[in-house]
Order: sequence, then structure tokens, then C-alpha cells
Amino acid sequence: MLNLYGPDGKIQFGKDKEAAKAYFLDHVNQNTVFFHTLDEKLDYLVENEYYDKTILDQYDFPFIKQKFQQAYNVKFRFEAFLGAYKFYTGYALKTFDGSRYLERFEDRVVMNALMLARGDKKLATYLVDEIISGRFQPATPTFLNAGKAQRGEFVSCFLLRIEDNMESIARAINSSLQLSKRGGGVALNLTNLREAGAPIKKIENQSSGVLPVMKLLEDSFSYANQLGARQGAGAVYLNVHHPDVMSFLDTKRENADEKIRIKTLSIGLVIPNITLELAKENADMYMFSPYDVERVYGKPMADISITEMYQELVDNPEIRKTKMKARVLFERIAELQFESGYPYIVYEDTVNDANPIEGRINMSNLCSEILQVSSASEYNADLSYKTIGKDISCNLGSLNIAKVMESPDFGKTVEVAVRALTAVADMSYIDSVLSIAEGNKKSRAIGLGQMNLHGYLGKSEIHYGSEEGIDFTNIYFYSILFHAIKASATMAKETGETFDNFEKSKYATGEFFDKYINQAWKPATSKVAKLFKDAAIEIPTQADWEHLAKFVKKHGLYNQNLQAVPPTGSISYINNSTSSIHPIASQIEIRKEGKLGRVYYPAPYLTNDNLEYFKDAYEIGPEAIIDTYAAATQHVDQGLSLTLFFKDTATTRDVNRAQIYAWRKGIKTIYYIRIRQMALDGTEVDGCVSCML
Amino acid sequence: MDKMITRPVNWNKIEDPIDLEVWNRLTSNFWLPEKIPLSNDIQSWATLHPDEQQLTMRVFTGLTMLDTIQGTVGSMSIIGDSRTQHEEAVITNIAFMESVHAKSYSSVFSTLCSTAEIEEAFRWSEDNPYLQKKAEIVLKNYHGEDPEKKKIASTLLESFLFYSGFYLPMYWSSRAKLTNTADLIRLIIRDEAVHGYYIGYKFQQAYQEADEARKEELHDYAYSLLMELYDNEIRYTADLYDGIGLTSDVKKFLHYNANKALMNLGFDALFPKDVCDVNPSILSSLSPNADENHDFFSGSGSSYVIGKHEATEDEDWDF
Repeated sequence: MLNLYGPDGKIQFGKDKEAAKAYFLDHVNQNTVFFHTLDEKLDYLVENEYYDKTILDQYDFPFIKQKFQQAYNVKFRFEAFLGAYKFYTGYALKTFDGSRYLERFEDRVVMNALMLARGDKKLATYLVDEIISGRFQPATPTFLNAGKAQRGEFVSCFLLRIEDNMESIARAINSSLQLSKRGGGVALNLTNLREAGAPIKKIENQSSGVLPVMKLLEDSFSYANQLGARQGAGAVYLNVHHPDVMSFLDTKRENADEKIRIKTLSIGLVIPNITLELAKENADMYMFSPYDVERVYGKPMADISITEMYQELVDNPEIRKTKMKARVLFERIAELQFESGYPYIVYEDTVNDANPIEGRINMSNLCSEILQVSSASEYNADLSYKTIGKDISCNLGSLNIAKVMESPDFGKTVEVAVRALTAVADMSYIDSVLSIAEGNKKSRAIGLGQMNLHGYLGKSEIHYGSEEGIDFTNIYFYSILFHAIKASATMAKETGETFDNFEKSKYATGEFFDKYINQAWKPATSKVAKLFKDAAIEIPTQADWEHLAKFVKKHGLYNQNLQAVPPTGSISYINNSTSSIHPIASQIEIRKEGKLGRVYYPAPYLTNDNLEYFKDAYEIGPEAIIDTYAAATQHVDQGLSLTLFFKDTATTRDVNRAQIYAWRKGIKTIYYIRIRQMALDGTEVDGCVSCML
Repeated sequence: MDKMITRPVNWNKIEDPIDLEVWNRLTSNFWLPEKIPLSNDIQSWATLHPDEQQLTMRVFTGLTMLDTIQGTVGSMSIIGDSRTQHEEAVITNIAFMESVHAKSYSSVFSTLCSTAEIEEAFRWSEDNPYLQKKAEIVLKNYHGEDPEKKKIASTLLESFLFYSGFYLPMYWSSRAKLTNTADLIRLIIRDEAVHGYYIGYKFQQAYQEADEARKEELHDYAYSLLMELYDNEIRYTADLYDGIGLTSDVKKFLHYNANKALMNLGFDALFPKDVCDVNPSILSSLSPNADENHDFFSGSGSSYVIGKHEATEDEDWDF
């Protein structure tokens, strides 16, 4: 319907609105349980154990009523059919038999605000305003679960280390099951595991390497996915200097044997600078036995810098090693990305150079935007903890750039979002995985994301990836960073608490602030300067930063990590945004959703008049995307999910070039590679908008 | 007496660029059913009514039958008529992929159904008069002598006959059921679209060279074969789909694809537009473009291809 041109040759945007309206009239309204009053509704929902009573008990009833009125007065309407459909199928509270709806969008917003404000009336009022206006959108686990009595966790993402012993592997599998069951995505680092053929108890050729562990994990995730509300999903990361790297990659090949094929587990590679340098020289690269590394240097392989140690490891006869041409690795990566979109890539040294926190980052997560330090746990033989290390979790939420640029108070919008995300960190203690619970308690890491960049640029008649587009991205993220740090420091001041080990961070030493104090950050184009001026947003000055640096030195920061830009799937449809800071994949996007099948989504703010500003990602090409992400990356402490898009005329060399370019521009991680293959002439469906080039 | 000369196929000397283009397309589209996590459909399968399950199995058995014919008889029978050596190579690829398709349905069966159910469905395929008739008509043509007529039959099979079966998984997927199976079917459709196009193209070349009488003969033959198949197909469709009330919708889909098949042969459409107004949700779920967006929560998708390898040069590493 929407995807086919109308008789006049124009895109039928009206169809989408019609569909949304019909959906409400024919489906939603008829299947919603009716209550006479709010009292009656809340009583019913609490008594029947739909709503969590403790959330509501933090407030008096007149206040609660006022919040519902505040939300309903906004007269919220879904802009796109897909937004409404996703909300009602995926988020709205339903009767236990699943047949009828108990909530509208406004109700979900209020329950989020009430829970996240933890009894603070002022914050609750602000939150209703920020969420219902679409400026702030909590991530799925929070938005879906808030206020419900029967619910999963609020946290989006978990990252676990695995050490080279059976207890740690078994713990990792148990943790994966526990976390999947609660609805989170889990990533695991396999770098420390001894390679295939390594000795066990000094007997040579005993270990079977990382592959069998991947198989165990894959099966664990698909088992947990049968129970949960959302499919379980997992990723594994491996350093490219691990000897099993090629067989790790081959698990995703099109013609891989069934015994070693990995279907649903995502894979990622950790690439240090030295690997690129070796490829530049067209030299051999050595892979080192993690077993020997740990035995000789007393540290797991993931905790050393391969770039710094490379020559030492090569020269040390005690370290078993294998070699191959470095370029062969990169070519294999690109081939595989064509076939499967995987692996993700983490540029390890870029990540660690930019990391303001003491410690080492050696992996990322399922969406490659979480980048935090970790430390190892030790286990007793019965799998209980000998020492609890630090594993990683992150709860996310995103700002809608177009809406934030219309905010009456830019700084407050950011602060309220940071407080909401921090509330989730404070409230979460996942005791089934203590290394996660303790890690969260110490770090209170949050990931404030952004979405709708392309929608905003298109609306403002700026081309994605143009000089003005990049300029806007730079200044926007620069301003966000300032207010995010300010909010976290304010909370540190209020509570008298900082994240664990703040004193050793570059925030405490002040080093982090140098680039903002010693250098002026201003819009380079008049158009961008005007956008900020018209929006009455003050761009922080060097003096502001100097002031902030002192404030942070005095009070510390409450959160170890502040920003991470996720790919935003479902929530950007509900919020009527373009995903993340990507360009649109298509003017009318076809999206395959596990539970929904194929659905269609017109790009937000797209009209038949501004089509030229909504070029799709394949046309825009990888360099403009990388340039845009580079502008944002310099102001983001964690990572950004960066997908690269290629037409099917591209070769592995084009993919490699883009990877090199991304690394040179300071990109931290690369998420999926997507290839678009067009139908051969004569085989396409007649009159389909998505077929248009 | 002419001496038979065997020539090795030389891909550096291309007589027809379409051969190379299609070869590249088909090889980069190579896939195996193992890549699709079909087992994620087990829960969804359980939500289908037993009648719907039985229908789905029968439809797939019917498709298996067609792919079996096309892989082992159809493609083989037209290979001898190839105009170029490269065409022979392309057709061997088509034959192979048809066998992959036939096997894929078995993967679906073994994932979702019990052995008894599978055997029932295969027994049904042997007993169903319309399915057998369909096979008989096509096989009769494949065993004939006329190379162009064989191509007509082949194109109609690729571009028309499959679609009464393809309708059902697309219908389920538009209702968010069996979405992984639909991914697999979409990969098959992606292949069949190219096969039908290519064989039709080769037919057109021969047709252009023919004299008027021959042209008329082929033209008439194409339409009468289509009608013969269509009459049978309508009965086959009713037999399958009456139970869930979708027959009229499937018929529109058949009209639409019959027109597509004729277009592939270079002939005019037969069915007027108003009987081809296929349910848009079906039409859009079958777009052969590989441009859908998906992530790790949604299965494997049909958008990845085998990449073209090109080594990096020193200049690429200039940093």
C-alpha cells in the first residue's frame, strides 16, 4: 500500500496515516478495557497485580491524577502506523490472557515517569513532559517494564568476561541464561580462552579452542529465547591476535559445515593498531597463544595491549605463535561481511586512548556502542565467587534530536534524561549475576543516546554528511556532552557520592577537559550557527568548560560513563524518528521484525517536496557516514553503533577501504555492514518505491 | 564428415553479456537452507490450526515437486539447446539451485513436522490429481523435441506455476507467522525470478530470429499452454485454498504472475489489471530487492550475498 506509488506517481503518505487511524478505530479502541475513572483503573490494575503498588505509593493520589491529566492534555497521536502498531503489540500492558489492552501510550509514559522519579514530584513532572513530548525516549527494557508488577529487567545490555578456566566458562553460560531470561542482550569476550591445540594440564593438543564454547552459548541463547518476552540474543568478541581467529570467522560462512556453523550468535573482532600497521607493510601478523601469554606474563590476554607488547611477544620463545598475512585477515573479514554482515569491529587502541577511566576496554556489546572497563572474577570449584570482578551493564535511552532542538530548555532536557537513566542504574541490582550487580553498583554507567539526526537534517534542508551536516553533528554532540557532565556532577554534589575510582580518572585530573578549555568549539557554518541561535540554545564556551572542570574536580561525577549511541530499533518507530544518527536505509523502510514480519515505515519529516534531502544510506555512501560519526565520536565517552552501507557493486576492497578510513578518522567501532542488491531489470515488483534509485 | 570439436568454455570471451551478468548474480546469490534459523518458527507453527498446518505442508510438497522436476528434468532438457557455452554453465547453476530449493522444503518439514505428517504430505502429492496433472503437462513438454517450446514451459513453470505455492508463506509472513520460513521462501523467489527472466530472455532471442509462421506457432503455443496450465492451476488452487477461504485472493496472484511470465517471454499480458490487484501486503512481502532492514532480534534476512573479492593495494593502506 504505502510502498507502491499512487496513480499520480507520488508516494502515498496518506495511506500510512489512514492505516494508523484505521488501526485505532478497528482494533485498539475496540480491544481496550474501559474504566469509568482513574481511581477505578488504578485500583483494578494494582489489585490484579498488573501495576507495581510500590511505585504508586511513593506519591499521593491527587498528584498521580494530575500527572495523568498532564499527559492526556498533550493530545498525543502516533505519526506513523508502525509506531502505533509497535507500541500496542510490544509495549502496552495487556490482560494476562493477552486479549485486551489496559494502557494507552499516555499511561505508559506516566508509569515510566513515576518510577524513574522515585518519589521526586518535580522530576516526575519534568519526565512526563520530556517523554510525552518525544524529546526523551527510554530504551525498550525500561519503557516496556516500568511500573509493571510482572516484568523483566530495565537494563538493555550486558557484557561478560570469560577467563581461561572451566569454572569461568560454566559461569558465563549460567549468566547468559539468567540475563537472557530477563530480556537483556549479552556479549562475551572469548579472547582469554586458550586456543585449539593448546595444552590442558600440560598435556599438549588437548584444548578444542573457542568454537565449542560458541556453540554452547548459541544454544543457551536460543533456549532462553523460548521463555522470554523478547528473543534472547548474544554476541562474542575475539581479539584478532587470538590463534583461533580464522575458524572463529568461518563459523559464519555460507558453506560452513553444520557442526561449526553459528547462526544466531553475533560475532565481533577486536583489532589493535598494530594489525593495521602490519597490513600497511603487507607483513605477516602473529597470533599468540592466550594460554602462554597468561602463563608467562601473569595476565589474561584481554588485559594486555597487543600493540605495545607485540614485538616482545614475537621475540619471546616461550609464547607459541602462528602467522598469516595481515591483509588476508582484512580481506576475509570483508568477504564475510558481504555474506553475513558480521563481524562487528572494535578498534581497540582508539577506544582505549579515548577512555577517560582507569583500566582497559577489551570488548563491546551486541550493538557495539558500550565501551567500558572490566576486571576478572575468580571462582571456587563449586562456581561460587572467590573474588567478584567487575562486569559491565548499561541502560540506555535516547534523545530525539529534532525535538530536543525545539526544547524550551536544552540543558534541562539533557539533565532530566541523565537523571532518568541514573535512576535505572541505582535501582538495578541483578543478584543472579553478582559481577554485573557489583559492577553496576560501582560504576552506575548510563548510555544517553541520540536519534533522528537525518530526520532533523532533512527537515532543516541540510544534506546528511555535507559540511553543514557534519558541523551540526559536532556542535550538537559537543553541547550534549557539556550538559551531561554537568548533570552527573550535580548529582555527585547532591549525594556526596562519585563512581568508584573517580580519583584516578581523567575527569579528576582535568586532562579530559583540556581539549575543550584550550580550544574554542564553534559552528563553522552560518546555517548551523543560525539553527542554534533560532532554537535559543547557548553553545558552551571555553569559560563554561573551565568552570565545569573545577566543579567536577570538586564534586566528582556520579556516573562512570554517560553517553553511548545505540542503533535504536523499535523505540525510534514509536518516537517517529530516524534510527540513531544513521542516514535512512530507504525513504520507505521495509523492516523485518521477528514477531511482526515485514512492516513499512516512511522516513520521519519526509514529504513529496523534500525528497532530495532524504537520500538513502546506500547513495550517501560510507565516507559521509564515517565523517558524521567521527564528528560525534569525539564528544562521546563510550561508542556509537555505526553501520556501513554498500551497493552490491562494491568489492571486498571497498569494504576494506572504508574500514581503514573509519580507523583513520578515529571511529571506535563498526556495527553491521549492509549490502543492497537491486533486482535485475525485469524481475522487480511493479511500482515499488523501495525499488527506486 | 564433420569432426566433433570440443571447446573449453572461455569466460574471457563473452558472446552475450547477459550470460555473465546472470552468472554473477546467481553465484553471488548462492545460499544453503542451513543459514536460516528455521527452528525459531517452531512456536509460530504451533499457533497454526491443524488444517492450516496440513495446508502448509501440502503447499510445500507441491513446491518440492516442481523444484524436483525443474532441477532434474527441466533444466537438463534445455541445456542441450544452449546458444552459448556460457549459457550451459548458467543452466547448470540453475539446475543445482533448484535441487537446493527442493531440499530446503525438506529442511522446513524436518524442523516443524513429525515423520508421519511428512509422509502423509508426500502421499498426498502422489494422489492429488491436479498436482499430478501439472507435472504431467510440464514433463510432456520437457520430453518433447522443440527447444523453444521447452523454454516456454520452463519459463511458465519458473514464473507462474510456483506462485500458487509461494502465496501461502507470504500470506503467513504478512501475518507475522513462520517468518523465518518466509525468509527461506524469499530466497527461493529471489532465485526463481532470475531463472524465469533468463530462460525467457533466451526464448526471446530465438523468437526474434524465427520467421513469421514460426513466430505465430510459438505465440499461440505459449498462450494455449498457459491456458491449459491455468485451468488446472485454478482447480489446484481451489482444492488447496477453499478450506481457508483464500482462493479468490490466490487467483489474483496467479493472474499477476501469469502476466509476469508472459512478459518474460516478451509477450503481452493476458489478464486485465482489475483481476490482478493482488493484496499489497503479499506483493510487498515478495519484493526481490534485498533491501530490508533487520537485526539480531529478527532472524537472518534475505539481503546478504557472496561478495566479490578484490585484494587491497598499497595505496589503500596509505596512512
